[in-house]
Amino acid sequence: MNSLIAIGAGIAVFCALGAGIGIGIATGKASEAIARQPEAAGKINFTLILGCALAEATAIYGFVIALMIIVMLK
Amino acid sequence: MGDLASKLMAELECETVFTIPVFGGIGIAESVVVTWIIMAILIIGAIILTRNLKIDHISKRQAVAELIYTKLTGLVEGMIGPAGKSYVPYLTTVLLYIGLSNIIGLFGMKSPTKDLNVTIALAVMSIVLVEAAGIHHKGVGKWLHHFTEPVAIVTPINILEVFTRPLSLCMRLFGNVLGAFVIMELIKIVVPVFLPAVFSLYFDLFDGLLQAYVFVFLTSMYIAEAIE
Repeated sequence: MNSLIAIGAGIAVFCALGAGIGIGIATGKASEAIARQPEAAGKINFTLILGCALAEATAIYGFVIALMIIVMLK
Repeated sequence: MGDLASKLMAELECETVFTIPVFGGIGIAESVVVTWIIMAILIIGAIILTRNLKIDHISKRQAVAELIYTKLTGLVEGMIGPAGKSYVPYLTTVLLYIGLSNIIGLFGMKSPTKDLNVTIALAVMSIVLVEAAGIHHKGVGKWLHHFTEPVAIVTPINILEVFTRPLSLCMRLFGNVLGAFVIMELIKIVVPVFLPAVFSLYFDLFDGLLQAYVFVFLTSMYIAEAIE
């Protein structure tokens, strides 16, 4: 039973896949934008950090669900 | 590892510090007590900063108070727009409270935002404010009608949004604070010296303040959408 719980928690962390792809795309585009317009770097950085914080939430949901699986089923 | 697991369990449960002996005992959780401490810090800070305010020849203390006030309200007003000016004081208060409660973990206290009940309460307050703002600005009829926009077929999704928005708000805040805590504990096990201090700068200070900002940003975005 314990190993099944561990596998379930591991699968829940697959959520992080989406966050990783999303933040990767966002950062790539942000570097492109800064290369094109270096004077707007401050604004772009700010938007990037905000977007990353929002995209990160998906990974956080996965973490919360994994933790809940472990805590509730144990 | 077993030690860490039991420690995590202890962190997830909100302990009752003491019980008020009325109505069969009201339990006071640890997060409530830490919230009282945060309230005391904010109130005493506000009283000290706003004593003897003058119009001319302002003191340094008043200059600091004015700087903090204009910066914070300017930040929130930039997010919500001029139409939602009457919601700025509430949002600024929430920003101060969440920011302070996220970084109070640095001083050895348990952050109230690590308690799921606190973040649920904050999210419910936000969604009630959003819907109330919509009713106040549009009237009941128009507010009900906005559920059927842009086309009638999306009505169930619009109604579902009333419940998923606070859920995502509270889970984002809770998960981030708890996740930062778990990672910090793991780092402390692997390298007990120096490295935790560096990572604590990111996870406790930067991420804590960023999450407070994100919470207020999303709430103000919802309000701006509701009153437009």
